[in-house]
Amino acid sequence: MNEITSILLTFLREAWVALAGVVLAFALLAGLAQVLRTASAGVLGSSRWVGEALTALLSLLTLGLFAFLGIPKIVEALQSALPNGGGCGPISELGLFASQLIGGLAALRMLKATLTSILSTSLGAPASLASALTETAEAFFGMLLAAAAIPLAARFLGAC
Amino acid sequence: MFQPIMDQILSLARDAWAFMAGLLIVVALLGGMYYILQGTAGAAFGGSRMTSMAIIGVVGLVIIVLFAFLFLPQIGELLKNFQPQPPF
Repeated sequence: MNEITSILLTFLREAWVALAGVVLAFALLAGLAQVLRTASAGVLGSSRWVGEALTALLSLLTLGLFAFLGIPKIVEALQSALPNGGGCGPISELGLFASQLIGGLAALRMLKATLTSILSTSLGAPASLASALTETAEAFFGMLLAAAAIPLAARFLGAC
Repeated sequence: MFQPIMDQILSLARDAWAFMAGLLIVVALLGGMYYILQGTAGAAFGGSRMTSMAIIGVVGLVIIVLFAFLFLPQIGELLKNFQPQPPF
């Protein structure tokens, strides 16, 4: 079980690093696109377009900071809330395995949702942005539910 | 495992950055030329408001371009420093 956990976690960690790099690259490209939009709108004299582009630029900065500062802290906090030693024997091992895997998957899901949000912001698609943020909330509540479900399952399955 | 894909995406992103930076320079130069034309015409016809608007426009364009070429890379460096290790 330990070997499987470590293989899966290594895979998820590599995916995290790659996804974080992609988030950074896309955030910068989207920022440059918004600056280009601001410049062209300024030349054309469209103040509304300039306002939209500047707001999008600020949103991109906020999303980038949330991705790199907020998500790791949320995952760390929720992972420390996940009980990993409920019961004994295989139940305990399974609990540890599940809590690590749930944490990793939720972190990746949140980062993916942030990447979708960044893309939606740069394209000006509020519907995709809303669904991506809903996905982040789902991952968050999924971890909270898992925190409650693991000890209950351990007790139900006859933990020591 | 993800490194080859990552390299491809980053190479595409670099190309897109260079393209957009070039486009921004072209738009800024054209916009600057337009404002200079507007300012010259305003000065020739005695339209002081037109001239002042053109000067403000040129200054705004310069600020936007400086923001793109000086501030955005700094923001990128900042975010790169914040790039987190896997929290699990």
